[in-house]
Amino acid sequence: MTTTSGDRAAELADAGLDGQNKIALGRLLGTGNVGYAEEGSDGVMRAEIRIPEDELRYEPGIIIFPHGGDIELTFYNDDKNTHCAVIPSNGDSKFIWLVNHSKGTAKIHLDGPGTYYYSSASGNDEGRGLTGALVMGGEVPDHAKQDRPPQPRP
Amino acid sequence: MTDYVDAGEAIPHAQLSAVKGSAPATGNVDYERIQNARSEPANWLTYYGTYDGQRHSELTQINKDTVRRLSPAWVFQAGAVGMQSGASTYSFEASPLVVEGVMYVSGPDGRAWAIDAKTGEELWRYKHASPYDVSLCCGNVNRGLAVGHGKVYMYTLNAHLIALDATTGEKVWDTVNGDVRAGESGSVAPLVVKDMVICGSAGGEFGLRGHIDAFDAQTGERRWRRYTVPKPGEPGSETWGDDAQEAWQRGGANCWVTPTYDPELELLFQGTGNPAPDFDGDVRPGDNLYTDSVVAIDVNTGEIRWHYQFTPHDLWDYDSTMENIVFEKDGRKYVSHADKNGYFFTLDAATGELVKVFPFVDRITWGEITPEGKVTPKVYPDEEGVPVHFWPGPAGGKEWTHMAYSRKTGLMYIPVQEVGATATRRRREFKESIPYWGAGVAVDIEDFYGFVAAVDPLTGEEKWRWRNEYPMCASTLSTAGGLVFQGTPTGEFVALDEETGEKLWSFQCGSGHHSSPSTYEVDGRQYIAVPTGWGGWIEGFLPGLLGAAAGDALFAFALPED
Repeated sequence: MTTTSGDRAAELADAGLDGQNKIALGRLLGTGNVGYAEEGSDGVMRAEIRIPEDELRYEPGIIIFPHGGDIELTFYNDDKNTHCAVIPSNGDSKFIWLVNHSKGTAKIHLDGPGTYYYSSASGNDEGRGLTGALVMGGEVPDHAKQDRPPQPRP
Repeated sequence: MTDYVDAGEAIPHAQLSAVKGSAPATGNVDYERIQNARSEPANWLTYYGTYDGQRHSELTQINKDTVRRLSPAWVFQAGAVGMQSGASTYSFEASPLVVEGVMYVSGPDGRAWAIDAKTGEELWRYKHASPYDVSLCCGNVNRGLAVGHGKVYMYTLNAHLIALDATTGEKVWDTVNGDVRAGESGSVAPLVVKDMVICGSAGGEFGLRGHIDAFDAQTGERRWRRYTVPKPGEPGSETWGDDAQEAWQRGGANCWVTPTYDPELELLFQGTGNPAPDFDGDVRPGDNLYTDSVVAIDVNTGEIRWHYQFTPHDLWDYDSTMENIVFEKDGRKYVSHADKNGYFFTLDAATGELVKVFPFVDRITWGEITPEGKVTPKVYPDEEGVPVHFWPGPAGGKEWTHMAYSRKTGLMYIPVQEVGATATRRRREFKESIPYWGAGVAVDIEDFYGFVAAVDPLTGEEKWRWRNEYPMCASTLSTAGGLVFQGTPTGEFVALDEETGEKLWSFQCGSGHHSSPSTYEVDGRQYIAVPTGWGGWIEGFLPGLLGAAAGDALFAFALPED
């Protein structure tokens, strides 16, 4: 499921910040939408990520997961140029090459909670905006928490 | 509908490199072997080289006569792929371990490697993906690994203690040991003792309750945890006398530097961090035990046998996490500690009795400690919004980087920082994962210097000093070759004469030093290994070099083979 923030998208379009070589050269960092992964009955959390044509972004740009764990990402490159993805995973990052109009998967494991970034380490894709975020929600296990009363959070 | 080309499944990034994927099996590193680490100087088996923390090697091939011919044998470039923290947080702080020709070392950003210690070839790599947004006061760093029982142990930025297979780098077990939502993190090099792995917490700037833990080395199951801030009813809790009875919950005293250990006494000597909030003492009246202390912990039970507090009711961010070196003289066993507060302490190792205290820096204005150990604060931020300047600054006369002790000269070789700071009290309410300082702090960007001091730990006499334009922010290494090695913030790696302080050799590494060099031997050739890569909490210990060249190289120096 993907949500959109219409006002912000319109603002970015009006400003010429929603695609390549308008007011800027590339697509600014973090301007993608927010998506949510779905957890399967097997405990694996899955999400789809697309690279739209001439926009140099992952869509959604941010994917939220309910907690850390096993993840399967399906990438679609809808652009007419070749890109890739280097995705963090415990043990070693995973690499996938994505030629024009290709589809592939990445199986990774991430400890929650927190934000992990990934990117296309090809050409200057990262500089032009092809970065994304994987956000793990949830809490650490009880045995990892401090022996003290609950504390205030922001 | 688009007919997509099949891109397949993502592969491990290391598959696109020359990394071999495995390291030769080495002999078992167990408790008995680590206890006798000094007898096998070809290896550097544990964080300080030996349990006593002396950072002294018996190797002599590189010595006063030969050191002038020392040159790089190989260089390992850590590099980076993808987004990572910036120059102010990145630093290559590790202490390389070596077992029978295989080097195990960690770097920034959750990376660990097995490297051929003779050639620099990458044998295996491990990358722990920690969240990018973990709360870190002082850098995306790791101080090193522990090796033992066929495994390599690492404590990660998101507070996971992990065990890797020593031959493949594959993960064997993973124990979550801290709450990243509360601002807890991990940077310490673990320590193998008996059949356990010991590691302590980081995150004192975020109002945690510090602790040190022991885990089963084979399974990762926690054996014991010792909090270093007592809760009500526990010994020492009377020193946290706030009206709301809440200060202990956020008291700090984190254990983010590896303890030393004495096998005869079976005591761990753990330094503890500053109380939280760092500079606002009104919300935590009392001495605030066991912050800014050395606690002697029974390794079998986790019980505190004795403690000595260096800075009661700290108002200057004077953590005492740094090492407590164990040594013997005339049949008596001592621990020595150079504290952030600018004073050097020597204690009886069995009882914690104060034997000697003296200043080891030139400028101390925060307060005074008498030869009997009486502490009198003089200058501190006690009025809201009023700036106060004091020496040493929050990084201290010496921070976490370590001194070394020569068994031949009986001297401690201390890396000294002469930097002051101004703190202005600004009270704030506590919230998890938000910095809990209680002040705004600006460290001096001018008027600083540093030196390596050769000091007698029992008399306080300074035998010599090697002065440097910039403060010393890296660990010293002492060798039986009569040398003291020290890296400078501007990139020089220097060898000093242990008896005179004369500089005998130097090499410009291209980026500043903020790590712990070690030495080892392979096939009869002695090497000195030092990670370089300037960064970390520069704004705290030397903001005058915030713009200096960054780096991420590990140098191995040796004499020419012919």
